[in-house]
Amino acid sequence: MAYDLLLGSEGKMEFLLGNEAVVRGLYEAGVSVAAAYPGTPSSEIGDVLYKLSDRIGIKFEFSTNEKVALEVASAASAGGLRSFVFMKHVGLNVAMDSFVSLSGAGVKGGMVVFSADDPSMHSSQNEQDNRFLGKFARTIVIEPSSPQELKDYIVHAFDISEEIGHPVLIRSVTRISHVRAPVRLGERREKNEWKYKKSASLVLLPENAYKAQMSIANRLEKVRSSKYNGILNSVYGDSSTLIITSGAAYNYIDEALQMLNLKARILKIGLSFPLDQEMILKEVEKAERVIFIEEGGPFLEEQVLSLCAIRSINKKFYGKINGSISTSYEMDVDRVAGFLSEIYGIPFQTKTQNLNLPERAPVLCPGCPHRATYYVAKLAMKQRGIQNAIVPTDIGCYSLGYYEPYQLGDYCFSMGSSVGSSSGFTIEAKERVVSFIGDSTFFHAGIPGLINAYHNNHNFVLVIMDNYVTAMTGGQPTPETTPPFKRVDIESVVRGIGIKNVYSMDPYDLKNSLDTFKKALDSNELAVIISKRECALEVDRKRAPSEAKVFQINQDKCNLCYNCVKNFTCAAFYVDEGRVYIDPELCDGCSVCSEPLVCPFNAIEVKP
Amino acid sequence: MVSLVLAGVGGQGIITVANIVGKAALIEGKNALMTELHGMAQRGGKIVVEVRIGDYKSAIIPARSADIMLAFEELEGARNLSKLKESGVILLNRRMIHPVSLTMKIQDYPEGIVAEALSKYKTINVEADQIAMNLGNKRVANTAMIGATFSTGLLNLGEESLITAIKESLPEKHWDINMKAFEQGKILPAFETAKVA
Repeated sequence: MAYDLLLGSEGKMEFLLGNEAVVRGLYEAGVSVAAAYPGTPSSEIGDVLYKLSDRIGIKFEFSTNEKVALEVASAASAGGLRSFVFMKHVGLNVAMDSFVSLSGAGVKGGMVVFSADDPSMHSSQNEQDNRFLGKFARTIVIEPSSPQELKDYIVHAFDISEEIGHPVLIRSVTRISHVRAPVRLGERREKNEWKYKKSASLVLLPENAYKAQMSIANRLEKVRSSKYNGILNSVYGDSSTLIITSGAAYNYIDEALQMLNLKARILKIGLSFPLDQEMILKEVEKAERVIFIEEGGPFLEEQVLSLCAIRSINKKFYGKINGSISTSYEMDVDRVAGFLSEIYGIPFQTKTQNLNLPERAPVLCPGCPHRATYYVAKLAMKQRGIQNAIVPTDIGCYSLGYYEPYQLGDYCFSMGSSVGSSSGFTIEAKERVVSFIGDSTFFHAGIPGLINAYHNNHNFVLVIMDNYVTAMTGGQPTPETTPPFKRVDIESVVRGIGIKNVYSMDPYDLKNSLDTFKKALDSNELAVIISKRECALEVDRKRAPSEAKVFQINQDKCNLCYNCVKNFTCAAFYVDEGRVYIDPELCDGCSVCSEPLVCPFNAIEVKP
Repeated sequence: MVSLVLAGVGGQGIITVANIVGKAALIEGKNALMTELHGMAQRGGKIVVEVRIGDYKSAIIPARSADIMLAFEELEGARNLSKLKESGVILLNRRMIHPVSLTMKIQDYPEGIVAEALSKYKTINVEADQIAMNLGNKRVANTAMIGATFSTGLLNLGEESLITAIKESLPEKHWDINMKAFEQGKILPAFETAKVA
């Protein structure tokens, strides 16, 4: 069975994805409860837990959003169980309210919050460094560098958390969570027994919160002098140049130094808040110059520099604060070598070349129902003479509607922001407002915005693109998924608010969908369209390849109007010497392109 | 110590190939690292996977230092040439997946530019997609690419380890057809600088 290798015995070596190593870490640490909302680059943790939870005895759930997930986990911890919550970096913003309070309440069973940051924004809207949020919330912050350390540090993190009674934030990044490497499996711990005891510290009314502030300080002080610094921090190399580093950035330093034929003493920090001040100062004092190389912001750098200021230690410091190292984008060997060569004053040239090649922008999959929805939306607006609609969109596969030819998406910040911003736009905008949100995102953060819109009399068209799955992160369940879960019906939720103009449509039925869109656009109050059709990849996963039809273009009937490639623009179409073809390996067989609204000449037909 | 860059388009099974190579290295007791980037698109987006076998800490290959490129798609192969060292070898699956940005503007696939870029390297054409079609399952093209990579001898991994890794990575019902794809992929045209077009 898939993922059996995660259940192997102690000492076994397996080639694991960082996120798979996380699950093994949970298994070893005796975790009882885990919860999450999917988000790349953390998503695979949930995929594995979802499949393995029964076998490894971890109660796991996909919660509606990160804040709920964190609360699910923290309650389990209040009952003495070890609990885990994981998310992508921006997910922690959603969970922030409870996350900050969690430090004050403290934990009974060990509790670890896992953040997978995304420097360089491979699949995100920013590259925030959540170590700063961990410090802001005054949790303990731990940084692994590799899949092996992801697994090992998770076990240590639970030990620290339970021993100190304080939550731990583990910060991973794309280049750890999405790296595969050999991982040595470790021994397993027993789980804790459920033991809930009422305690004033869990009720953060002002009186109790006042006392909690002192408890936080005391607990963090205990960490500073704990044995875990010796376990999680390491130092090696003999040189008057000290490089202080952590996380993924550490992986690039040895090779960069080797490339430049240089030497340095490397201080690798795994426990990055609160810092082991004395050990670090001792190292700084021995050095002539100190370089900080970190993935993200100047997190260690700011802490060490303020410490040095208090102790009047003056060295040559290089890092993100003095501009020696860029504050943006992920590190790699070439970049680190480039920064070091500047600091050491030796020549180094990165050997890149620029070929002028056509871009391959991300595209909706062949068969994607979103394409049909966007095609119809554009057509309806055109037929109604709406040329300058304001189109807030949201976080999901359908964000790709931003790209040509649809260009539906001109405002997108965060989960749920399509609905809230639509209210704002309608206050003064002369333009029609038409916004798009996915089903999972609607449940996650769209509902409060929609209640606001109805209550405050805002008039716009909201299209909920319901493909029954959290698609962009790999097809996780949503609150509509059954069994064994209870199904939450989107239309009932929308109608329950009181909204009258609610339309359901199947986007594959272009003609009916076009009529539906026009009705919604004609409405003079808030209208909601629910565009329902299962994600094409999910359909693919369930059917045998032989069940899928493949379409082709009848070249005798095609009159080269190019509507199919210019406006419908399925990724399976291609052009060769002016003629249009369908790549049979890419065609999903959805049949939408064969509708007269896409091909008025009936030139697109099933390939025999 | 060997570094591979694998480039192509989402849906081509590239991550599976990299995973198999990494597993095979581990079977031989070697350290292996692999990192993948696959952007926002679930299918049809560009994909780059890097694999390094040996005593490395960085999974990301420095510029101009990969020994082998597995180009599953021609344009994506060309796009990632800056990773390949000058004496590096390209295993080119003869597959063109037209970028939507061109199709939309009624433009052909950029065969000329791609061919020119690739022609500066030792390129071995692999008819992986053709092999898979002939075997009746387009999904085994990636296993044919593993066979071809093995045949170059550059991987420094034993056939047994690769076959074990393939079997560990796939359900038993798919073993037969994948073994056939592996065998057919092993048969390479002469090891020479080939013209692409």
